[in-house]
Amino acid sequence: MSEWFDTFSAPKPAPDPYEEAAAEPATPEIDEELDPRAAAAILAQTTERAERELDRRPTFLMLVAAGVVLIVYGALWISVRHQHPYSGPTGWALGVLYGTLAVWIAFYLAVRTRATSGVSGRAMRQGRFEGLTFATVWVFVYVFQGALHHAGASDAIAYGIYPAAAPLLIIGGAAAVHQAARQNWPWAGFALGAVVLGGLASYAGPRAVWGIVGVGLFVLLIARAAQTWLTRR
Amino acid sequence: MADELDPLIHVPARLRIVATLAALEDGDALSFTRLQTMIGLTPGNLITHLRKLEDAGYVGAVKSGNGAASRTDVALTARGRVAFATYSASLRELLAD
Repeated sequence: MSEWFDTFSAPKPAPDPYEEAAAEPATPEIDEELDPRAAAAILAQTTERAERELDRRPTFLMLVAAGVVLIVYGALWISVRHQHPYSGPTGWALGVLYGTLAVWIAFYLAVRTRATSGVSGRAMRQGRFEGLTFATVWVFVYVFQGALHHAGASDAIAYGIYPAAAPLLIIGGAAAVHQAARQNWPWAGFALGAVVLGGLASYAGPRAVWGIVGVGLFVLLIARAAQTWLTRR
Repeated sequence: MADELDPLIHVPARLRIVATLAALEDGDALSFTRLQTMIGLTPGNLITHLRKLEDAGYVGAVKSGNGAASRTDVALTARGRVAFATYSASLRELLAD
């Protein structure tokens, strides 16, 4: 009977392997002779592997993001391109937006969780606060959209130019300053590119803005992924 | 010339440990378990090398939690980061000659 209970009771948590290893007698150390060329090879191989495994924004994630952007903005643009008068993205396009976004968030969290498993400390905590801050800004960019509609802004503004371009201007601007402060120039350049794209695309009007932002962001993400890939080669 | 390389780092296992920890952002630490998985050493081997690095002040270990929830995180100290940067630069110079 007790075996039956044992089967369904919670597994005994594994003790800290560090503590277990520390309690064991020290393993005799073999200080192998190491040729400088072999050391350079170990160093390059280990650094490359560690950076790849710990990378929270790997190249393939940027490529997937580029695909997501093209699908989402493409669907939004297709849904509005022949509208006269303009009324904003239609139900099916919003379905594509929210569905793709949900899949993207789940995928991003899985990649991030894998990369940060076992990692802790100041930079990790800071990263979580930064993520929370950007998510809050992103939500309120769209809360403000409701205020525009409430105040009588046209559909072209409230459901066209603003939702397509404002996130790039506001979140991109905040990210550009943040990355520049960290002297992370590749990401600062990417964020600044998004700001310029948002500002210029807004002149294209409520229909074309979706297509231009989609293609522009796609190009920026591909360029950023290529730059990362070339740097790590 | 190889004598100029820091003997504490210039050992395959310790070089792998230090290079892996250096890939973390400054201020972050890695759990003993994840480090072991990434490096592929046995716990006994890993702790032997970690102790040497700790004794030299290159690595710090922080224990958190109690009992079954306890875990140990390891990170390069500021001294360890400097030592690793010096080692990498010396190795580059050595190979360039």
